[in-house]
Amino acid sequence: MIDGTIFDIKEFSIHDGPGARITVFLKGCPLRCRWCHNPEGLSAAPQLMHKKNLCTGCGACLRGCDHPECKPFSRCIHACPNGCLRVVGKRITAQELAEKLRANGDFFAMTDGGVTFSGGEPLMQPEFIIELARLLPGIHKAIETSGYARPEVYRKVIGHFDYVMQDIKLVDREAHKRYTGVPNDYILENIAWLKQSGIPYIFRVPMIPGITDTEENLAAIRKLTEGCEVEYLKYNELAGAKYEMLDMTFPLRRNNND
Amino acid sequence: MDQALYRFIVDKKHHAYRTGVCAELAPQFSEEKLDPKERMIRRFEMLTSLEQPVILPSEQICFLRTVPKIPECFTEAEWVEMKKTHFIHELGYMSNICVDYATALQKGLLALRETADCYGQRAIDAIIALSDRYCSKAKEEGREDIAAVLTQVPRYGARNFREALQMFRILHYAMWLEGNYHNTVGRFDLYMYPYFKKDMDAGIYTRESAQALLDDFFLSFNKDSDLYVGVQQGDNGQSMVLGGIDQNGEEVFNLLSEMCLEASGNLLMIDPKINLRVSKNTPIRVYELGSKLTKAGLGFPQYSNDDLVIPALVDMGYALQDARNYVVAACWEFIVPGVGADVANIGALSFPKVVDTCLHRDLLGCDSFAQFMDCIAKEIHRTCDEICGGIQNLWFVPSPFAHVMMASGIYDGGKYNNFGIHGTGVATAADSLAAIKLYVFGDHSISAQQMIEAVDSDFACHGEILPKLRYETPKMGMNEDLPDLLARELLERFADGLEGRKNCRGGIFRAGTGSAMYYLWHADELGASPDGRRKGEAFGTNYSPSLFAKIGGPVSVIRSFTKQNFHRAMNGGPLTLEFAASMFADEESVEKIARFVKAYIDMGGHQLQLNAVNTQKLLDAQRHPEKHRQLVVRIWGWSAYFVELDEQYQNHVLSRQQYSV
Repeated sequence: MIDGTIFDIKEFSIHDGPGARITVFLKGCPLRCRWCHNPEGLSAAPQLMHKKNLCTGCGACLRGCDHPECKPFSRCIHACPNGCLRVVGKRITAQELAEKLRANGDFFAMTDGGVTFSGGEPLMQPEFIIELARLLPGIHKAIETSGYARPEVYRKVIGHFDYVMQDIKLVDREAHKRYTGVPNDYILENIAWLKQSGIPYIFRVPMIPGITDTEENLAAIRKLTEGCEVEYLKYNELAGAKYEMLDMTFPLRRNNND
Repeated sequence: MDQALYRFIVDKKHHAYRTGVCAELAPQFSEEKLDPKERMIRRFEMLTSLEQPVILPSEQICFLRTVPKIPECFTEAEWVEMKKTHFIHELGYMSNICVDYATALQKGLLALRETADCYGQRAIDAIIALSDRYCSKAKEEGREDIAAVLTQVPRYGARNFREALQMFRILHYAMWLEGNYHNTVGRFDLYMYPYFKKDMDAGIYTRESAQALLDDFFLSFNKDSDLYVGVQQGDNGQSMVLGGIDQNGEEVFNLLSEMCLEASGNLLMIDPKINLRVSKNTPIRVYELGSKLTKAGLGFPQYSNDDLVIPALVDMGYALQDARNYVVAACWEFIVPGVGADVANIGALSFPKVVDTCLHRDLLGCDSFAQFMDCIAKEIHRTCDEICGGIQNLWFVPSPFAHVMMASGIYDGGKYNNFGIHGTGVATAADSLAAIKLYVFGDHSISAQQMIEAVDSDFACHGEILPKLRYETPKMGMNEDLPDLLARELLERFADGLEGRKNCRGGIFRAGTGSAMYYLWHADELGASPDGRRKGEAFGTNYSPSLFAKIGGPVSVIRSFTKQNFHRAMNGGPLTLEFAASMFADEESVEKIARFVKAYIDMGGHQLQLNAVNTQKLLDAQRHPEKHRQLVVRIWGWSAYFVELDEQYQNHVLSRQQYSV
């Protein structure tokens, strides 16, 4: 029984591949992009999310609690009268998740859509998504990935998918390392493979002001993606809101304040 | 569209013409002991004679109200007396129906006059006289085009598109001026199409010039609409129905339907309210055109499913041809034009109230959930006894003009005289029952006594169960069978409760899924509820999830809300979904949303209200109303200018479940 960790399932997403999608967000990512707008997808472990703006400080959550899901956080996540607390990150077997997704087979058929795996970085849990892909025959499957994985893993996983949304962030190796925490050698190698793989794909470029949207980077991306389909994604300025709920600091905000 | 005219209306400059005053009539009518029909016709004659013709620069479709206030026909004392022996519905008029525009447009008022009674004849004479004064005014102002139109209509039948549009305006205007309200528009793309097609085929219009004329016509619905009565500004029943099948089963949707959707998007005003009839056979393109309009943020169109509505109406006793011709009343109740004198909103059953009564009266004595559900069924039945039994000796103000405009007349009822009863708060009730089943009878984690104490104290007692009830119990909208099938059972019991009853006009009672304003009113009557709803919190609008249910997304919602059997609960009342405006980013998104709506219909949904909501803008409009005068929201079956609503209605819109990308 193969299981994995997910942090959200989004029904009816319309920007995650062809038709109407159900997007599964897998938890855990090897990158630390400064602009990341899904901070709850970074850590592979479950985390406590606290909507502080709704908290009245009543203390109901501070009592002792035996729920297994509450124990790691020394408070009861079920006690909040305002629904401020939730644990992000849930272990689930591929079997259970696949059943849930298969139940929407008719919806996918009616909307020419399918399932999209996103994250975090789905390639962090390769056995899990390969198993899922196997359990979803006849359903259109797409993946959104940074491409950061050893080439043999990348090829093995991607081969199970009908459509790939491949990120391109920074072409310069040093810049990539500085803003995402990792070098881009694997990514570039995987992109080269993807282009000749015969699998339908699109490149996606997040337009981060002053970081990825520089003349130089965009020129390099244009060269790399010549003749390919590319989508440039506008940066969402509200991206920082979730960091506070996780007791994390939004790196880009800190950067701006420097 | 003529932009100067549009600005003129949007800026309400035409209000300056509203200088006419009609004196009080009721005291004198009462003193003379006049017959109600005589009063109605005298008032109509008085008002039509007081009206001053106004032709706005560059408008093609005229008729404007200049006498804003319609005086009462009956004194308060007379109403009090009347109510002692009669059931009076709302303001006492046979409203919320759809008159037979098709026949009037085709034959002209003089032809209708031949078969009318003396009151009908006087009504027709009065409106023709006003129209003749408009004609003279047009000549005076050098508007030969308008004068030519008014020489033909409304006296004789319309010969072309423009005459038909102008004549509709006059008929509709007369309906309002007579004091009727919730005057619906009906199947505009069906009865107007022959005139449109004839002119298009003859090359009289290009698509653009026809669109400009249609836009001008659409604008006419917004000239006097603030004078129309309703619970809130915007609740005026100017519902237009497009598409669907005709009486012979042929698809109606045509170029005119498409241009109506476009006109609505061009105007960005709250009238007319657009309804789209669809079915499994409706091409995706129609949904795409609909979704494009949804994107505009007006809360139009509302969709209804022919595949479900028509057979349900037939089983209620409507002739197949009449059922195929269905329209919606002011909001979403299904009625038949020309012959239906149904009172589709005569009462409302509060499902959460039923649950609350049984919780307090029966729960402690029940050994099983099945036994508790028997109590629920009995209480629904008892409530139906009470509602239906309370409607005796219904009396309506006799409206001579409306009578003439109905093929079946209305004085003595029409061909159909059924009463619709709304069913409010279905989700709150089903969720409450789910909680009772799971915890009181299932794992026994909450005792009956604890549940009652918690609800009575608004969770001051046993507060620890509130989070569990509120956030961790299956609810409608999550695609969980427990609450969804309980909702199904509630609707079945509701239909059982009304089945076989005859109303005082010889018709039947129809069960519905709408709430109208009761999502606030009925919620106010209750304290907290076992689903974790706190005292003072509203229900969802119409047939929708509770406001705080933690919902996975819109796919789960449409699955939850299509598991019930609507066949016996088809008075109307839509599932309402709010999508963030940002979801409608581009053409591709609009296409995907169209497929989503089609999926809902194909899954067996009966009626859908889909709204594009921009929360930031709404919040800003609460702070700076002056900057958002034209911002539109959908309320419960009609759209309104957000800043003109009472705060409680504004806040409800903001607290609804919303889905984003």
